[in-house]
Amino acid sequence: MRNLERIFNPKSIAVLGAKSEPKSVGWGLMKNVLNGKTKRKIFAVNPNKKQVFGIKCLPGIKSINETIDLAIIAVPAPITLKVVKECCEKKIGGLIIISSGFAERGEKGQILQKKITKMVRQAKIPLIGPNVLGIIRPWINLNASFAPATPATGKIAVVSQSGALINSIIDKSLLENYGFSTLISYGNEADLELSDFLWWLKQDKETKVIAVYLEGLKNGKKFMKIAKEVVKSKPIIIIKAGRSKRGAAAVSTHTASLAGNYEIYSAAFKQIGIIQVETVEQLFDTAKSLAWQPKCKNNIGIITNGGGCGVLTADYCDELGIKLAKLNKATLKKLAKSKKMHFACSKRNPLDIIGDALSVRYKIGIEALLSQKDIYGLIVIQTLQIMTEVEKNAKIIGRAKKKWPKKPIICAFLGGKITKKGIEILEKNKIPNYPDLKRAVRAMKVLII
Amino acid sequence: MALLNFQETKKLLQKYKIPLCQTEISKSKEQAIKIAEKIGYPLVLKIAPLKIVHKTKINGVKTEIKNEKELKKAWDDLSKLKETEGILIQKMLSGREVILGIKKDPQLGMVLMFGLGGIFVEVLKDISFRICPVSKKQAEKMVKEIKGYPVLVNIKQIIEIIVNLSKLAQKQKKIKEIDLNPVIVNEKKALVVDAKIVV
Repeated sequence: MRNLERIFNPKSIAVLGAKSEPKSVGWGLMKNVLNGKTKRKIFAVNPNKKQVFGIKCLPGIKSINETIDLAIIAVPAPITLKVVKECCEKKIGGLIIISSGFAERGEKGQILQKKITKMVRQAKIPLIGPNVLGIIRPWINLNASFAPATPATGKIAVVSQSGALINSIIDKSLLENYGFSTLISYGNEADLELSDFLWWLKQDKETKVIAVYLEGLKNGKKFMKIAKEVVKSKPIIIIKAGRSKRGAAAVSTHTASLAGNYEIYSAAFKQIGIIQVETVEQLFDTAKSLAWQPKCKNNIGIITNGGGCGVLTADYCDELGIKLAKLNKATLKKLAKSKKMHFACSKRNPLDIIGDALSVRYKIGIEALLSQKDIYGLIVIQTLQIMTEVEKNAKIIGRAKKKWPKKPIICAFLGGKITKKGIEILEKNKIPNYPDLKRAVRAMKVLII
Repeated sequence: MALLNFQETKKLLQKYKIPLCQTEISKSKEQAIKIAEKIGYPLVLKIAPLKIVHKTKINGVKTEIKNEKELKKAWDDLSKLKETEGILIQKMLSGREVILGIKKDPQLGMVLMFGLGGIFVEVLKDISFRICPVSKKQAEKMVKEIKGYPVLVNIKQIIEIIVNLSKLAQKQKKIKEIDLNPVIVNEKKALVVDAKIVV
């Protein structure tokens, strides 16, 4: 496998096509790259400029007298070949071509892209792109992209064939409590492919789970081989676009007409052990759960202060094959002995601690269930009643998490404005909350071994 | 795209231990009568096409032939159809119809499909897929995955056919598509009744 260290952990960066005009790609790149200026050396290259963002602008990459680990190219497609050639001669460590106008734009672009591939491969310089947003690694303050913002640090890696989608994912994440280890927009795959990135993320210490947006694979067999290795240590979640059967080739058997591209990819994912989701919301619901919680065996508990929500959750569990544990005598005894439970308390799983439950009931219930040996995980539901102690409940769950670190806890604090503070406490403690019961159950499902 | 003829198809399936229902090819009516007596009624008669066709759509299949009179009538009807290699005579079987197939994908290679046959495949699309090679364990999973699983019998032999079909697809690189449709499965046997192999 190839060494991508100088791309993903550069000590020096050159931006080719650096600009100072607001809202241009070259401007966006410089703005983001400069955020990490205390961590690495930054050089601006543009023969038509003297200065960009207060730093001296050089006419070409060869004018730089120092070693360059990463060069980011944002010049118009027709002149990329010349610029790439200079980068190869300079013996840089890695290359990102942001520019578009290659294989995605017909035959002419395809020829140009092939020339670039040949050139960088001869020079043994790894290339990301072209036609990409760039890469972002919040942990080391590296934003080599023209994304509108830098997201928070976290354990989720995003690898996306679409760059535009990453931008919205970043913006959304700023309102959420999860963050990212690495974001990669990989575009046309002229050199490095999806499987190369998966392999690199396998050894990346900050990455716990990998979320992928995929349209089509470039090298299916290699992908299968590598992904099979990666999933042994890190879960991969994929959203696959392209379900409709437009432009399908003429076929002569039932099998061929039924085996569309989407079905075939789904089969491959299943065989590899990749989690496939259908919506972007599910992609991050799942990623958050896997990033924050441990995996567990199939037998879980549910605690709720709303009977109906307990029933719904039990239904969803049944539908997805999640087993509900039977509360044993010791657990029931603990609940009874506390003398704090309502007389109508369900005394079975889902444990309904009744709408007027104060935090003390949550505490007793959660501790009793998590103490039971064969309850391997817990879903905690909170509906908002006038007496519900939202923040106190969240803190109790946070403490339970510390006491039973090997048992995953998924929460469904249902509500809005008043519930928000509790959710923040939960998620600060890396306990995922979902505003919908089915989403919570799905998040538990992916944790079950 | 070309279609393997009957003999080639039969040979290939035999080589990979994929059991074909007893089927003989006849070139004349007299020969057909002799074969029928050997196999025993009830029978199915169908054309052995030389090019890719949907046999049922052109009335190329006659089922439930119970005696010589019906055989002669069916033979006459089928012999009117053009571009055939001959007429196939086959023992009529009863059991569940399942479909097995192969499609070559440019990215992922040979893809194997399994599902309930007949209307189930057309309308309900109750099918499952795997990328070859398909192990015995994966084969079992793909059988259990379909909604119609509870109505299936003789799972063991279905799994055997899946694994053997996967081996065939892995070794025979020139194959583009295969339909084993239907494969009839009952308590005793699982036999391929019709096979279409496109190269």
